[in-house]
Amino acid sequence: MTAAVILTSGCSLESKYDCEFYAMDTVMTINAYGSKSENAVKAAQNEISRLDKLLSVQNENSEIFKLNQSKEMTVSEDTLTLITRSKELYTLTDCSFDITCEPLIREWGFYSGLENRVPSQQAIENALKGVGAEHINIENSTVTLDENTSLDLGGIAKGYASQKAAEILKEYGITSALMSLGGNVRAVGSKPDGEYWSVAITNPDDNAKSIGTLKISDKAVVTSGGYQRYFEENGQIYHHIIDTKTGYPADSGLKSVTVVSEDDTLADALSTSLFVMGLEQSGEFYRENNSLFGAVFITDSNEIYVTDNLKDSFMSEQGFEVVEP
Amino acid sequence: MKSRIWIIIFSVAALLCLGVWLFISNVSSPSRVVGIYKDGSLVEKIDLNSVTGEREITLSGEYGDNVILVSNGHIKMKSADCPDKFCVEHGELKSSSSPIVCLPNKVVIKFENSTDGADAKTGAIKCIQKN
Repeated sequence: MTAAVILTSGCSLESKYDCEFYAMDTVMTINAYGSKSENAVKAAQNEISRLDKLLSVQNENSEIFKLNQSKEMTVSEDTLTLITRSKELYTLTDCSFDITCEPLIREWGFYSGLENRVPSQQAIENALKGVGAEHINIENSTVTLDENTSLDLGGIAKGYASQKAAEILKEYGITSALMSLGGNVRAVGSKPDGEYWSVAITNPDDNAKSIGTLKISDKAVVTSGGYQRYFEENGQIYHHIIDTKTGYPADSGLKSVTVVSEDDTLADALSTSLFVMGLEQSGEFYRENNSLFGAVFITDSNEIYVTDNLKDSFMSEQGFEVVEP
Repeated sequence: MKSRIWIIIFSVAALLCLGVWLFISNVSSPSRVVGIYKDGSLVEKIDLNSVTGEREITLSGEYGDNVILVSNGHIKMKSADCPDKFCVEHGELKSSSSPIVCLPNKVVIKFENSTDGADAKTGAIKCIQKN
């Protein structure tokens, strides 16, 4: 009886605030627990909307849009931080993560108002002229782009936004919250009862189902998969993750890659780049950087590979192989 | 006289059994309360278990109408004027970690409580495509 009373009073003390909103061309949810949760969630939402206006590639008032037009601009601190980080990640991932992909994404028609189509070889070669982070020059807070270069931060902006939002929630004293920024999941602390959060990974073949579940606390979980956006032409499927080395959709034998990290920005960028690299190269990358992240790979033949540091937090009805450190 | 006592005992026992059965079935039946959201605001909460007959709910957005079909235990997007139709392709709402989402028209249909033990799902949401 006493236990029940304590339990009941414990629950009633814990207030919860949920919020659903639209930013960065997707739907986002923030669920936070604690007495200041309402103010904390509203502040986090404002921060995400602010970053959306700054980093959007299609909003004519964003810094990235203006930089792509003018090719030289003094940018704000957030934009500078992200472009600098993107250049570092370009080097770290051996050019697999590349924010200069904009001309290629445009050719393939993966922007609002454009028609998806397979570009001509000539168009791809032209687009590739400006691709590569070596075409971005940074001096103090001025960013200069080469003539044929344009930036798209779509592969990293949501990660950066969830990191900033998580920091704000923590500043408000929130110790338990869960966010989803269009499928980029971020946990702040653990569940209110101290348990791990349970994050399902979408089954690439049937998006209404899951292929497994990760138990996490205070980490970001980001998935990149060809199934998230694609079009069909002449019976062939073309997805949205473009390999900037070839100019064509990455064909590396993977259906999806899920990255777990304390660093949301890294998790976002790596999910795309490991997808481009494929399983073998990703395994080598993991062995060199296993303190930074963990990953779950789904191959084209539906095999699951899980990095060693996640093998105890991942559960699936299907068996899986472990990527050794 | 004796048989009347037995009838009363049996009746009480039968009622108790019925009560216990009702209690258990009520506790063990999963929560089927669904929320329909437009632009992030709740439009309506529906307990799918208490729906009788069929009902259509029409919501209007930037890309035309979304028609939601509700029947006992079931909810789905029947039709939509949005360009991608991912919400219609989704079929019936089956689990809390896979809400029905129409990004162009900003409509979300989801269970209010976890139905599958997961707190969130990664990678589920397809990107917006405005053609």
